[in-house]
Amino acid sequence: MAAPHNATVPGTPQSLARSRPRYGEQAIKAVLMVAALLSVATTIGIVVSLLEPTISFFGEISAVEFFTSTSWGPLFEPPHYGVLPLVSATLITTGIAIVVAVPLGLGAAIYLSEYAKPKVRKVFKPMLEVLAGIPTVVFGFFALTFVTPLLRSIMPFEIEIFNALCAGLVVGFMIIPIVASLSEDAMAAVPNGLREGSYALGASKMTTSLRVVLPAAFSGIVAAVILAISRGVGETMIVFIAGGGQPNFTLDVGKAMQTMAAFIAQAGSGDVPVGTTEYNTIFAVGSLLFVMTFAMNFVSVRLVRRFREVYE
Amino acid sequence: MPNVTVRGPEAPRTIESLDPVFTVKNLSVFYGDYEAVRGVDMLIGNREITAMIGPSGCGKSTVLRCFNRMNDLIPGARPAGTIQYHGEDLYGDHVDPIEVRRRIGMVFQKPNPFPKSIYDNIAYGPKVNGVKGKMDDIVEEALTKAALWDEVKGKLKQNALSLSGGQQQRLCIARAIAVKPEVILMDEPCSALDPIATTKIEDLMQELAHDYTIVIVTHNMQQAARVSHRTAFFTAEVDDAGVRHGRLVEFDETSRIFTNPSDKRTEDYITGRFG
Amino acid sequence: MAVLSTPRSAVQLASKGTPVREHLFRTLLIASLVVAFIFMVALLSYVFVEGWPRLDSRLWENMPSIRNPDIAGAQSAITGTLWVISLTGLFTLPTGIAAAIYLEEYADKTRWYNRVIELNIQNLAGIPSIVYGILGLGIIARTLGLGFSVITASLTLGLLVLPIVIIASREALRAVPPSIREGSLALGATQWQTISRQVLPASIPGIATGSILALSRAIGEAAPLLMLGAVSFIRFNPDGIFASYTVLPIQIFNWISQSREGFHVLAAAAIVVLLVILLLMNSVAIWLRNRYQKRW
Repeated sequence: MAAPHNATVPGTPQSLARSRPRYGEQAIKAVLMVAALLSVATTIGIVVSLLEPTISFFGEISAVEFFTSTSWGPLFEPPHYGVLPLVSATLITTGIAIVVAVPLGLGAAIYLSEYAKPKVRKVFKPMLEVLAGIPTVVFGFFALTFVTPLLRSIMPFEIEIFNALCAGLVVGFMIIPIVASLSEDAMAAVPNGLREGSYALGASKMTTSLRVVLPAAFSGIVAAVILAISRGVGETMIVFIAGGGQPNFTLDVGKAMQTMAAFIAQAGSGDVPVGTTEYNTIFAVGSLLFVMTFAMNFVSVRLVRRFREVYE
Repeated sequence: MPNVTVRGPEAPRTIESLDPVFTVKNLSVFYGDYEAVRGVDMLIGNREITAMIGPSGCGKSTVLRCFNRMNDLIPGARPAGTIQYHGEDLYGDHVDPIEVRRRIGMVFQKPNPFPKSIYDNIAYGPKVNGVKGKMDDIVEEALTKAALWDEVKGKLKQNALSLSGGQQQRLCIARAIAVKPEVILMDEPCSALDPIATTKIEDLMQELAHDYTIVIVTHNMQQAARVSHRTAFFTAEVDDAGVRHGRLVEFDETSRIFTNPSDKRTEDYITGRFG
Repeated sequence: MAVLSTPRSAVQLASKGTPVREHLFRTLLIASLVVAFIFMVALLSYVFVEGWPRLDSRLWENMPSIRNPDIAGAQSAITGTLWVISLTGLFTLPTGIAAAIYLEEYADKTRWYNRVIELNIQNLAGIPSIVYGILGLGIIARTLGLGFSVITASLTLGLLVLPIVIIASREALRAVPPSIREGSLALGATQWQTISRQVLPASIPGIATGSILALSRAIGEAAPLLMLGAVSFIRFNPDGIFASYTVLPIQIFNWISQSREGFHVLAAAAIVVLLVILLLMNSVAIWLRNRYQKRW
């Protein structure tokens, strides 16, 4: 139909073929991709740096002893390699932290998302950001020199200078912003139609918040709490400074305890000769910590994703 | 007969005398497995204004975006059939989509000036295309052709986003002209503008048609009647399997489409009996 | 309807008064915010009051001492922090922004490897900082042989905050409307021309804000550096990227670990310096965010 009208022929200077080569474009894309792959390399690097010493460790110490013995003292003579005291200390301080952070963080989130006027929100959200931006070593200092003396003067039971209670409480305040801001995001994503439907049935604001918004945002809130737990489990400076360096296998929160992260920090900052069992211990505990936090993050990321799929 | 004034071009040319820039044969466009547009045959005449009209979802924008291969940017979008540009297969293996877009400019539904100065908006195209020459002259020429020079000549360093919507759209036309394209595609260029700004753009199109081939997608029938030489009427149809496809119903001189359409569906649409 | 206009029915529709539990609930919610707020104010004012007596030029003019808190200062820690953070930024900002550009502008999200990268970045963001210390110790200090030096600390902190930079930069890039990209591509610009000349300049304020926040996270980080030689007693300023170093948070930690009261005062004073640096950085970030808020 159009053939007779062909004014130009392919291959003439007017052709639509590339007029000059553009190797740069592909090279740039490759460079950018390498940068993105560095994040994968980081994960691989972490796994590799953990794996080899961990394998050596389990070549010398039986996994049964590691996971069941209740005595920890790799630097003692004779050494003990039962990780349970570290795990229980980690769980206890994190448990205390969660008891503080979940009600306070969730309360703050419900208030900001459902009650607060935009002006109020504008004041309080940056405040949470400031709290989140304070370095953990500062929390540690405050815990040791202010919170512990305070607890010692008001608590009816005995509290040591280094203790799990103070460490857990302060970690709890540190993770409030995580619980609050992620939960608020989840609640803000709940469609307004659900709230209106509830109000139309004559429900009060409290009923709507608790019975409609909270359940609708549930998986997002769970993700926030899991992430907060993971932060608590991995927190180092606060528990190292305020919790002390003694691995006690106890439930007495007034006593000093050493968490997994605090052990790594303590042993890692000392002069432990490379290749010894003591040195490998750092990595074995590190592997356990990595696996625990990685699993929690993975679940949390999954939950957030599923939540987004429902509402966005 | 429809209540539409057909201003139309001075000397309507017949299909047979048409000098085609684009030759579209049996064009279908897929998004993944979904066939959005099916079996389009049409010609775009040199230095003519061709309007594509039809209800929303009829695939007219989809077809327009094949002409400068903007559909390449949508993951999963692929055309079937052929589009020839001066006899050269637009989707041939040797064709560089960037080269295509240098030759075939586009103006979008919502004015999208870059958040930079008026001057930089115009100079950007020539710069990325490696055009040598006096940039000040290129900018002035493009703005003059787009009938914007008198309004902005004193404030070329001002941010383009400070202009009114209509001025922004003319700036986008000037930006396209600055690259010296042969064709300008316009995707509902006036839908975000007020009537006065719309009139200015329409006058500008008439002016530009002396030098450029223009293809315009519009949802506004009167606009098609006022400015175009030829009109393609698209509609959406449901096939036997219950799937909607965009179809080209009729392609003819604008005056004939609006006064004496050969297809009942066209007549229904332009007389407002549609849907 | 007539009913609506009669005063009597208006009385019937009027609130019977919010039940007590509604008030209680609301009060509890506000209380949780207030408790968090009180904690923060207590922390900041305590640190400031404690540190005030030692907040003088000795802090930045003198070198650390473990014997005499009266003459001890934090000069080597302050210069160490500047060294480490500058290098961290130099390494992590270009890398993070490049990765963000790849993921946001180039990556085909249907490809499995791109999904792996994406999932991996989200997971990295949740790995405890002390584990990065293990990475720094095992790979950067030992395998790469960089030892306990400024560069090891910078690379470790750089990897630690890389996910933050990537996530923030991606958000900034996503905020640039697609119409800007279309406009540029339709003029015959290549994809890289479009990114480098339109998308990136338009997203710089957002990227800068995120970058500053990431670096301020790195400045306050102590845990991984505990394992990378920063705890050693350093009485000199670093003179190169392979020099030994210490940083402010670690110096603070060292002073906290001392039992004498004088060192705790010193720690508080150093904390004030650290917080002032962070406050300045955050102010710049907030200023950038407000100054260049979206213009389209």
